[in-house]
Amino acid sequence: MANDVHPEVLVSTEWVADHLSDPAVRVVESDEDRALYTLGHVPGAVEIDWAVDLQDQITRDYIDRAAFERLCAAKGISNDTTVVFYGDKNNWWACYAFWVFKLYGHERCRIMNGGRKRWELDGRPWSTDRVDYPPASYVAPEQDGSIRALRDEVLKHCKAGRQLLDVRSPEEYRGERMHMPDYPNEGAIRGGHIPGALNVPWPLNCNDDGTFKPVKELEKLYVKELRLKRRSPTIAYCRIGERSSLTWFVLTYLLGFANVKNYDGSWLEWGNAVRMPIAKGAATGGPAAALPPSPAVSA
Amino acid sequence: MPDTTATLNAIVAEFADLDAREKLELLVDYARGLPPLTPEYEARKTVEDRRVHECQTPVFLWTESAGGKARLIADVAPEAPTVKGFVAILAAAVADRPVAEAAALPDDVLERMGLADVLGILRSRGLRAMIARVRRGFAEQAAATS
Repeated sequence: MANDVHPEVLVSTEWVADHLSDPAVRVVESDEDRALYTLGHVPGAVEIDWAVDLQDQITRDYIDRAAFERLCAAKGISNDTTVVFYGDKNNWWACYAFWVFKLYGHERCRIMNGGRKRWELDGRPWSTDRVDYPPASYVAPEQDGSIRALRDEVLKHCKAGRQLLDVRSPEEYRGERMHMPDYPNEGAIRGGHIPGALNVPWPLNCNDDGTFKPVKELEKLYVKELRLKRRSPTIAYCRIGERSSLTWFVLTYLLGFANVKNYDGSWLEWGNAVRMPIAKGAATGGPAAALPPSPAVSA
Repeated sequence: MPDTTATLNAIVAEFADLDAREKLELLVDYARGLPPLTPEYEARKTVEDRRVHECQTPVFLWTESAGGKARLIADVAPEAPTVKGFVAILAAAVADRPVAEAAALPDDVLERMGLADVLGILRSRGLRAMIARVRRGFAEQAAATS
């Protein structure tokens, strides 16, 4: 039985609609296509962009602590603000932004279940108003390394045969394609997967309306069928770390896995780095082979 | 009809002095201005292979020549307003210009509009691929008519 599940981190569109003018709550949109926010956003929501706001523009890394403090302050987020993330694409980037906020130790983070899609399906209003809040004050600690895996650690983890999840499509996992179906190749030189990784494509976590599947179903997949251990160190990766943030979120907050890291370097780093071990083809045996053919694995 | 470069220069000037938020608003305005496909093209969409496969969202492009004049027709999913706005800008730039000129569409407009920094590295790469795709399409038209 999970001992550290956090279902409260998942809030409904109704909860968000009820808290739009709550000064203790800041709603944050993070999208693959950032112009979606401009086109229409949840009233009062601010935008935080994964590429421009959260990533350092020179070094391939996240913004540093001081820049994170400035970002939060500028968006009117203080240390005690409840930050609710939502976005397009099944909340990939919302989960990614949530994860970066956790890197900097922000306590009250939430995901709006279903993101933009569910908000739209529920017939809730979109706003094109410009949103600005008075600057807040924010003090962040240094990054929390316990939820982020860097390459050397992943290599050790892989050699030790620990729980490693590749959440990309089966075609990417097998090395037949180096990017999502219909996505541009963003520059990995080699295709395949990290040896020993289980292929658990991210859509297995989601319903068609963009919401997460019920915890019981997720538990059945990860714990019963895949036989993953909640207490064993687990690393998830994809291509650039956004889809694996979603799986990281599911394992950590909905299923109570104790030690999950997101490998944000993901395939774009691994498939380019010298002498990294790579496996091609389908998984032979093991729990991954027992996976049903996954529907709708294209992004 | 101003040439491709003059049209793009005018659009670049529109974007140049805007801040990031205003640039995105203007881009969305362009996206809203992209006309929907006519029923004819809507029907052709399903039978012709016009999908831009290197693009992350459903985008269908026709790079056509009408008596040697370029015409860019596009259908972009509503969930991709960035691509939609950018394609609308390219369509405006090449409209009714000789196809050889459309094939030489400048490829530095993203930087000159200041959108590359607003969109980041990966998205900008996708849009540059779109310019390349449009240039290639019109180059094929130019070769076919010469």
